[in-house]
Amino acid sequence: MSASVQRRPGESILSNPLVGRALGCLALSFVLALMIGKQEGTQQDFGLAFRQAVLGPRILWFLLIGVLVFVLLTFWPRVQPYLNRPGIRPLAVGGLTVVVAYALLKWTDSTAVSDGKFGTLSDAASQTGTLAPLARTFFTAPLPWVLFLVAFAVGAAAVVIRRAVLSWVGAAIAVLAGVWAWYSHSLVQSLLGSPDHSTGALVALLGFLTIAAACAATALSAEESANTRGFINGVFAWRPGMPLVGVALLLGLAGFAIATWFSPGNRNATLVDTASMFSTTGLSPLSKAYLGWLGYVLFALSLALAAYAAYRRDARLGWGAAGLGLVSLVLNLVALHDISAVGASTAYDGATGAWQNLGTGGWLACATFLLLAGAGYIVATAGSERGTIARTKADIAAGIGKIPGKSKALILFVLAGALFYPPMATPFWQKVLVSEIGIYVLLAIGLNVVVGWAGLLDLGFIAFYAIGSYTTAYFVGALPIQPPEWMRLSPLLCIPIAIIICLIAGVSLGAPTLRLRGDYLAIVTLGFGEIIRIVAVNNPGNFTNGPRGAFGIPQPEIHLGPIHIDWGQASLQYWYLLLVIVGLVILAFNRLEQSRLGRAWAAIREDEVAAQATGVNTTRVKLLAFAIGASTSGVAGVFFASQIGYINPDNFVLNNSILVVAYVVFGGMGSLPGAMAGAAVLTWLPEFLKDQVPAEDRQMWIGAVILLMMIFRPAGLIPAKRRAAELHGLDEPSSAETTAVAANEGMGATK
Amino acid sequence: MSLLEVDDIEVRYGAIRALKGVTFDVNEGEVVALLGANGAGKTTTQKTVSGMLRPSLGEIRFDGQRIDGIPAHQLIHLGICHVPEGRRVFPMMTVAENLEMGAFRFKKPDSTIHDRVIELFPRLGERYKQFAGTLSGGEQQMLAIGRALMGKPRLLLLDEPSMGLAPLIIKQIFDIVKEINEQGVTVLLVEQNAAQALALADRGYVLETGEIVLSGTGQELLTDDRIRAAYLGEEIAS
Repeated sequence: MSASVQRRPGESILSNPLVGRALGCLALSFVLALMIGKQEGTQQDFGLAFRQAVLGPRILWFLLIGVLVFVLLTFWPRVQPYLNRPGIRPLAVGGLTVVVAYALLKWTDSTAVSDGKFGTLSDAASQTGTLAPLARTFFTAPLPWVLFLVAFAVGAAAVVIRRAVLSWVGAAIAVLAGVWAWYSHSLVQSLLGSPDHSTGALVALLGFLTIAAACAATALSAEESANTRGFINGVFAWRPGMPLVGVALLLGLAGFAIATWFSPGNRNATLVDTASMFSTTGLSPLSKAYLGWLGYVLFALSLALAAYAAYRRDARLGWGAAGLGLVSLVLNLVALHDISAVGASTAYDGATGAWQNLGTGGWLACATFLLLAGAGYIVATAGSERGTIARTKADIAAGIGKIPGKSKALILFVLAGALFYPPMATPFWQKVLVSEIGIYVLLAIGLNVVVGWAGLLDLGFIAFYAIGSYTTAYFVGALPIQPPEWMRLSPLLCIPIAIIICLIAGVSLGAPTLRLRGDYLAIVTLGFGEIIRIVAVNNPGNFTNGPRGAFGIPQPEIHLGPIHIDWGQASLQYWYLLLVIVGLVILAFNRLEQSRLGRAWAAIREDEVAAQATGVNTTRVKLLAFAIGASTSGVAGVFFASQIGYINPDNFVLNNSILVVAYVVFGGMGSLPGAMAGAAVLTWLPEFLKDQVPAEDRQMWIGAVILLMMIFRPAGLIPAKRRAAELHGLDEPSSAETTAVAANEGMGATK
Repeated sequence: MSLLEVDDIEVRYGAIRALKGVTFDVNEGEVVALLGANGAGKTTTQKTVSGMLRPSLGEIRFDGQRIDGIPAHQLIHLGICHVPEGRRVFPMMTVAENLEMGAFRFKKPDSTIHDRVIELFPRLGERYKQFAGTLSGGEQQMLAIGRALMGKPRLLLLDEPSMGLAPLIIKQIFDIVKEINEQGVTVLLVEQNAAQALALADRGYVLETGEIVLSGTGQELLTDDRIRAAYLGEEIAS
């Protein structure tokens, strides 16, 4: 692609590739300008949006983007070699993260801030009048951006020039900037004095740390080209469990030193403040001790023990660290319960009840102890892992063999997040977690069996969800036709019944249709989904109560001997119920994938005739896939009905079926973690975008994300081993895993 | 008594009669070849024997037991293993996993069969951890046969093992089939490559538009003028 292209006589100027590219980049600038930002077009004046977007001075920013793209494309051959240098990917990710944190995320969600809704960095900056000078300096208008640009530029220079000194300077600047941002933000928070749920500073800190990591990677690697995955594997393999200890250290410092533990009546009390607040109350001595000194001691002890055990790779010390971490976790939870309960009993500043009014600190400490216990557990069990273990540095870099404890560590990170993030989240996000993310993750796990494992495209999956919901509505007596008195059940007891009914429904849909293949099966299932919905609308025999649906479905409850649990209105408790359900389903399905049945599914997905020839009963196996998927969907239906309390046919439209398919494909067909991640990301994204883009543009942005994903990572977020191989050309299975992630796929491949 | 008796079977695809009363038998320990041009009904016959198709008339007996109408995944428990046309290995599974699928009928696979298959096809041992889709045509054919052997067949149904392979590889494959036969597995072989098939086969049948038109021992058929004219492409001086 040379920059000097001669124009032959008689050729139109447009056929010059440079001109075409320039026009394309110009068009890109204008399209982006139209897409990004708030617009106020009306029915009468369509031109308004255009004029606002294109004629204002903001167009200059977008033209700059266009010029950058043009330069990048034109000098691509010269840019490309640098794109494979070590550290370039984390640098890009870190940079983007910081930009997002600065420009989009909330730095405060206090209503005291002018905008009220957004509370971005600039809004936070307007509140800095009485801050300590160090924090005030950070918020001075261009400084955050200057800090970021300097860190990023030094990082980029280090990648290009490859000087270790420069890299370390960049890393130091990035760490300083991140910590400074976090510190300043925490000061703003204590000044405004209301419960803190904003994520801006935290994400900025993470972004800066990623940039620092990129610089470190640049300084430390002798290789010519990037092997980000090899680097990450190396970190995990150096001392199994150590990454968990590192993260726990950060979380623990934040939790014990800066974060809020108790926040009734718009007050943010750190651990020290909380301890002094409760020193004269009737708090139990144990909890008093915990707040006063025991907490710090336990943190320091379990951190040191876990780190030492990981360093020495000593299984017995590992078990010790695991035990100490768990004990500390329990004590921490007891202390959290005590301060909230005592606070409520003394009506301290309007504290409302047990487990209420707690800040982030206590939960961060919980996550810390969980991770430390997990690190100990990994150290204790790393020696006994089955399969080939990566032995040498070269093995690790090439992705050959297993990294001991890596998947356990990742699972523990996710578990810590799933257990202790929700109580820190705002009520809005708690609701999203339960009624969007959680339920759709469960549905995606179920559909993954049908689509991903057995290879049957099911476009009517939501029908089983509807059947589960209506089953619940019937057995709790919320439908016009009542069950006999002895058959009335509490919602949780409906789960086994819904499973059985959905199994039957799955088999009876499957039996006549499974001889169909591919597209034909998809159309039939699509019809089935619509039939169920329309039956619900048409109200046959006054069973479904027509379009009005069922209401007054009671909340779930457990009364078992001395145990009484009532799920009320608050979303948070449903989250933990859902976590238990999803956990059980994952355990069962994980077994299933490795079983004979799992292998039979893999076989019929690849070649039905050959599967038959090796003795797979294809009909039975396909029916089982259908039935198992359907019953998972039914469980989700029970949960949905009893959580929301009312259902109607509009909850079960075709669109939802298609969305679940999209989640599974997006996440990675046939991969359990992939399906879950896909559902989580694609249900989270629209809610996140609510604050960031105009409502009518939301679907467009989501569509853009899906498009980009399918172009650059066609096998999905977390691809299944086989799918990755299918899409990347056949290769040895071990290296297929690495090519699915890095290599020249993505940007590098587009010429 | 013959191991396999096919008695006057008729198979229909809708209104089309693909087999119009085919009768033949295979004795224990034999290699029997089914020859014929494209569309003669060779593959249909084999699919019917392996249980993938159901005859509309006639009977099939295996070891004296009637088996027509029993689906393929149950027939395999009697020891009838089918290597389908076009190899049909599972491309996204490794060689190891393909072999494992071959032993699917056993709840606990027997490792001695596995070792014997690897001994028979050392190439599969070399490519053990590789995806089957990356193998060459010949290797895939070996894998397909190996996979069928994992099911401990008494009767091995081989559908056109020479399809699309180089002559040298074809010879290799036929040598192995012979070895398998010598180890006591009865083979029903469908082939277009008449010369190679008949050199190997104890007996042969020639199918034409769904009917058996000729039968005899391998040697007899090899020297039969009609065969030489139709399948070996030799000019016959009349």
